[in-house]
Amino acid sequence: MEILQGFMEAVQGIFKSSGILTLNWQNYVMIGVSIFLLYLAIKKQYEPLLLLPIAFGMLLVNLYPAIMAPPTTELLTAEQCAQQNVATSGHAATVINGITYYENPTYGGLFYYLYQGVKLGIYPPLIFLGIGCMTDFGPLISNPKSLILGAAAQIGIFITFTGAIFLGFTEAEAGAIGIIGGADGPTAIYVTTKLAPHLLGSIAIAAYSYMALVPIIQPPIMKALTTKKERSVVMEQLRPVSKLEKIMFPVIVVILIAIFLPDAAPLVGMLMLGNLFKESGVVDRIAKAAQNELMNIITIFLGTTVGATASGQNFLTWDTLKIIALGLIAFCMGTAFGVMFGKIMYKATGGKVNPLIGSAGVSAVPMAARVSQRVGQQENPGNFLLMHAMGPNVAGVIGSAVAAGVLLNVVG
Amino acid sequence: MNFSNLMPLLHTAELSLAEKGISSAKVILTGFVVVFAVLILLILIINLYSFIVSKALNNDKNKKKQKIVETKNTSPVPKPVTSKIPAQKVDDGVSEEVVAVISAAVASMYGYSEKAKIKSIKKSSGGRSAWANAGVLENTRPF
Repeated sequence: MEILQGFMEAVQGIFKSSGILTLNWQNYVMIGVSIFLLYLAIKKQYEPLLLLPIAFGMLLVNLYPAIMAPPTTELLTAEQCAQQNVATSGHAATVINGITYYENPTYGGLFYYLYQGVKLGIYPPLIFLGIGCMTDFGPLISNPKSLILGAAAQIGIFITFTGAIFLGFTEAEAGAIGIIGGADGPTAIYVTTKLAPHLLGSIAIAAYSYMALVPIIQPPIMKALTTKKERSVVMEQLRPVSKLEKIMFPVIVVILIAIFLPDAAPLVGMLMLGNLFKESGVVDRIAKAAQNELMNIITIFLGTTVGATASGQNFLTWDTLKIIALGLIAFCMGTAFGVMFGKIMYKATGGKVNPLIGSAGVSAVPMAARVSQRVGQQENPGNFLLMHAMGPNVAGVIGSAVAAGVLLNVVG
Repeated sequence: MNFSNLMPLLHTAELSLAEKGISSAKVILTGFVVVFAVLILLILIINLYSFIVSKALNNDKNKKKQKIVETKNTSPVPKPVTSKIPAQKVDDGVSEEVVAVISAAVASMYGYSEKAKIKSIKKSSGGRSAWANAGVLENTRPF
C-alpha cells in the first residue's frame, strides 16, 4: 500500500513540474514556429547551419524556460536547510528579524551560461575570426574603388534608424534595428547585445532570415533600378594581387579602423587577424582551426542560445513585427543604395563598371556576390561578375563593422 | 507634487517629434560621413601601398634581370652543369628512376635558385622493429 502511495505521489510530482501545467499559450505558439523553422532548415535548406540550431534553441526554451534561467540565491532558515539537505556551513548567513538565513545559491540553466558569450559580445568577434580566415581580399585590393559600394550599401542602416525612431523605439533600440540592413549576422548580434539586449531574439532572427532570402529579395530591386544596357556591361579582368599586398592589407586596415573608430576594433580586429592567419601562410594550423573547429563550435553555441532568447513572452509582441518589417526595409534600402552608387560609378567610368555589383555591398558573403553574378548572366550568359562583386561584398563586411562602430559611438 | 522633477523621466521614455527628427538627422549625417570618410581613406591607402609594392617588386625583377644579363655577359658559354657536380654515391639496387624522382623532389622543394646537392642515396637497412611498427600504426591509423 505504501509503495502504491509513494508511486502516486511521485507521478503527481512529475506531472506538476511538467510543461503541461507550467507553459502558457505563447510558448505553444513558439513551439509551432520553431517546428516550422526546423522544416525550412531541413527541407528547404535555408541557411541550415544557423537556422537549425536557432530553431532548436527556440524549441527548447519554450518547452523548458528554466534552461535560460539565471542563477539565483535563496534565503533558507536552518530548518529548511536541514529539510532540503543543504549544508549550512560555508554559506553566508544573514540575520533578518532575529532569524538566521543562509544564502543558498542555485545554478542557472545550461543555455544561460552558453548565452554569456553572446551577451558579453564574445562570440561575434570569434566568428569574424573564422570569416577572416576564409575571406580573400584580393578583388578588393585590386579594385579599391569597390569600397565605395560597400559604404553605399550601409546607408540603409541609418535610414532605417530614422524609421525605427518614428515608430516609437528608443535611440539605442533603433540603432540595433537599423544594423539589420548591414546583412551581417555577427555584427547585428554584437551591436544588439550592446544597445538593446532585450530585442536580441527578434533582431537576430530577422537578420538571419533576410540573409537567407537574399536571392529572393535582391534581384527585383536590382532589375528595377538598372537598364538592360547597364546590366550587360562586361568588366575588365582584375589585376593579380601580390602576396605582399595581401599580407599588408589586414595590418593596415586594422591600424586605420582601430585608431579612428575604436568601437569597431573587436569586430574588424578579429576579422583582420583571421585574414592575416590565412595570407601570412605561416600559421596554417591555426587558420584551419579558426575557420573550421572554432567557428563551428561557436556557431552551435551562438545559434542555440540566440534561438533561446525567443521565448514566447519575449518574442510574441508588436515590436517583433515592427522589427521584421523595418529589417526588410533596411535590407532593401541597402541593396538599392548599393546599386545606385554602382550606377554613379558606371557613369563616372564611362560604362566600365556594371552597376549590378553594387548590390553585393550589403555583406552577406558570398551570397550577395552570387546574386550579382546570376542577375548579370541573365542578360549576358558570357559575363562573369562574381570576382568583381566579391570586392564590394567583402568591403560590405568592413563597411557594416564601421557602421556598427558609428552606431555604438553615437547612440550607445 | 512637483512635476518638473518628472520631466527628464518623460523625456527618456518618449521623444518628442522634434527630438526624433534631430536624433535621426544626427545619426544619418554622422553615419554617412564617417562610413564614407573611413572607406575613402582606405581606398587612398590601398592605392598608395599597392603603388609602392608594385614599384618595389618591379625594381626587384629588373635587378634580377640585370644580374642574369651580367652573368651571361661574363660567361657567354656556360660550362655544362653536370661537370661541377661530383658523382652521387648511389647504392646498388636503387634504380635510376628512383634517383630521378628523389632529385626532382629535392629540386621542387628548394627551387632552382638555391643550390642543393644530393650526395648519396642509400637504401635504409632492415626496416623498423615490430614495436616501432606498432607505434607508427598507432599514430597514423585513421581516426
